[in-house]
Amino acid sequence: MKRTFPLVLGMLAGLYALAEFYLPVYWVRDTTTELQNWVSILGAAAFVLGAINLVHVTWPKIRRREQDWPYKIVLLFCAVLMFGVGIKWHRLFGHEVPARVAVSDGVDGMAEVVVEAPDDVMVKIGTYDPVPARTAAGPAKATVDAGKVSVALYRRVAGYQEISLDVDAAVGKVTTVSGDPEMLWGRKGRTYVWLYDHVFAPCNATMFALLAFFIASAAFRAFRARNVEAALLLGAAIIIMAWRAPVGRIIYSQLPDIGQWILDVPNNGSRRAIMMGAALGAISTSLRVILGLERSHLGSD
Amino acid sequence: MATGTQSRDDNGALHWTDRLQRFDRRWIFLAMGLAIVLPLLFPIGLPIKVGSMAQATYNTVEEVKAGDVVFVSLDLDPASTPELEPFYKAVILQLKRKGARLVFATTWYQAPPLVERWIRDAVERPLAPAGTEGYSGAPDRAYKKNVDYVLLGFREGKQATIANMGADLRKTFDYEANDGTPLDQIPMMNGIKQLKDFKLLVLVSAGFPGAKEYVQFVQNRYKLRMVAACTAVSTTDLTPYYQAGQLLGLIGGLAAAAEYESLVGKHGSASAGADVLNITHGVVILAIVFGNLIYFIGRRRARTRARR
Repeated sequence: MKRTFPLVLGMLAGLYALAEFYLPVYWVRDTTTELQNWVSILGAAAFVLGAINLVHVTWPKIRRREQDWPYKIVLLFCAVLMFGVGIKWHRLFGHEVPARVAVSDGVDGMAEVVVEAPDDVMVKIGTYDPVPARTAAGPAKATVDAGKVSVALYRRVAGYQEISLDVDAAVGKVTTVSGDPEMLWGRKGRTYVWLYDHVFAPCNATMFALLAFFIASAAFRAFRARNVEAALLLGAAIIIMAWRAPVGRIIYSQLPDIGQWILDVPNNGSRRAIMMGAALGAISTSLRVILGLERSHLGSD
Repeated sequence: MATGTQSRDDNGALHWTDRLQRFDRRWIFLAMGLAIVLPLLFPIGLPIKVGSMAQATYNTVEEVKAGDVVFVSLDLDPASTPELEPFYKAVILQLKRKGARLVFATTWYQAPPLVERWIRDAVERPLAPAGTEGYSGAPDRAYKKNVDYVLLGFREGKQATIANMGADLRKTFDYEANDGTPLDQIPMMNGIKQLKDFKLLVLVSAGFPGAKEYVQFVQNRYKLRMVAACTAVSTTDLTPYYQAGQLLGLIGGLAAAAEYESLVGKHGSASAGADVLNITHGVVILAIVFGNLIYFIGRRRARTRARR
């Protein structure tokens, strides 16, 4: 039962996915969409399993002080940190303070809206362009037409609440809006965005950028025309690299044509062969799974 | 390393070809570092000639009319930003000045904060307001969320998510935008139920899942009009689809992004990066040529000595 049930389930799902292309019936499409939604849900659940697996694999290595264990502490700490800042703490413990509105007497014949907010807050009053909440001239204010006026307060950086409200502006009155957009937590929160922008993104980009240096080093040390095939490969690589740099066509005006030909003919021909080979392999493996001949995905038990 | 050809002279010292093959690789790193930094500090500004794939991409986007809804899939991570952001900004400027409405989504879990920043920088703010220096095209304007553009956000599921979007876009995103606004309440989403309802799909793709999966899972099935931008290393993966007409345009890497910037008429970081490409590609080509020269001289010398 432990092996047969998953095998039958896989077989049915595989047969359905195959048959779906040949059944132009409405409910079939809906069922397929539903099944594909399950795939998305399973994919999301895999993240949870991944987190559990990370602790399961890493913690014993730290406890046994295995090689590079301090790095594992960093890894776990970062995972816990990102999990922690990903929670919407402001919803659990926060107290959202709405903007306060006060009306006072103003200049006769004018309706004014004044916004009181910290310096780093941007203010948008009605159809006016956004301005800083406080400048040397004082708090942001605007003369508006009497009636409903939209007021929006937000910070320049991401991760803060956006306050938007409609106020009633009246002739001869000053409507003062006071507010301070609260810092958010969770995936859209300030800490998460800051960690993403200032830790993850630079580290990610650095890893990718290092490739340029390793390629240059490998180009000198390892790219050798040891035989005809390798020489052809190197020749094509040099032409393509020269073509993809604007200076290439200045050196030799026919280089773009030669480069495009290499891309269009030998490259595409071989790519198609690889893709067709891979597709045939995928079809045969899928058929083996559907027919129950391939069982390695069920595990070794 | 050509260890088999190493030889020593009568004093027991390594031959110069062997010494050169063993020299400290940090010199190469230094040369590469200078090749990247110097052109950024002292731009050369060589002319950029537009290739056929960039031109085809531009022409396809030009066919979009005011009010058309265009789907933009940003499947990438911060590592690919230098290669893909220039095209993204150029194509967004082109779409905004044509008055297209935009729908954004991503299938990469690393992407959402980056996508949100890119939307704040390029969509919610004008990229080329009137009077922009060095820009002679029509100015664009700031787009409003859920009026001029919609961010659907991220869904896990990779190819399954792409297939789902092809069948039922609204259901894939639980019938709401990323900020929780029901899609039914967003007027620009009227009539948009699945991918084929978009006038054009613009795929900015750094790998898997990305443009290739869009072609394989939804393009042919729903007859979608798509253009794609990818990193230079993925270009050869996608050119068969461009050649077959499944992708109507393809922008491969920074060089093609620079071509696209010149077509749109606003030079950005790709045009500045073209100088870097000139020098760094030159360094790599010289490294290959120089390395092979040393290798062949060393091999010839070793054979001559062996014959003696």
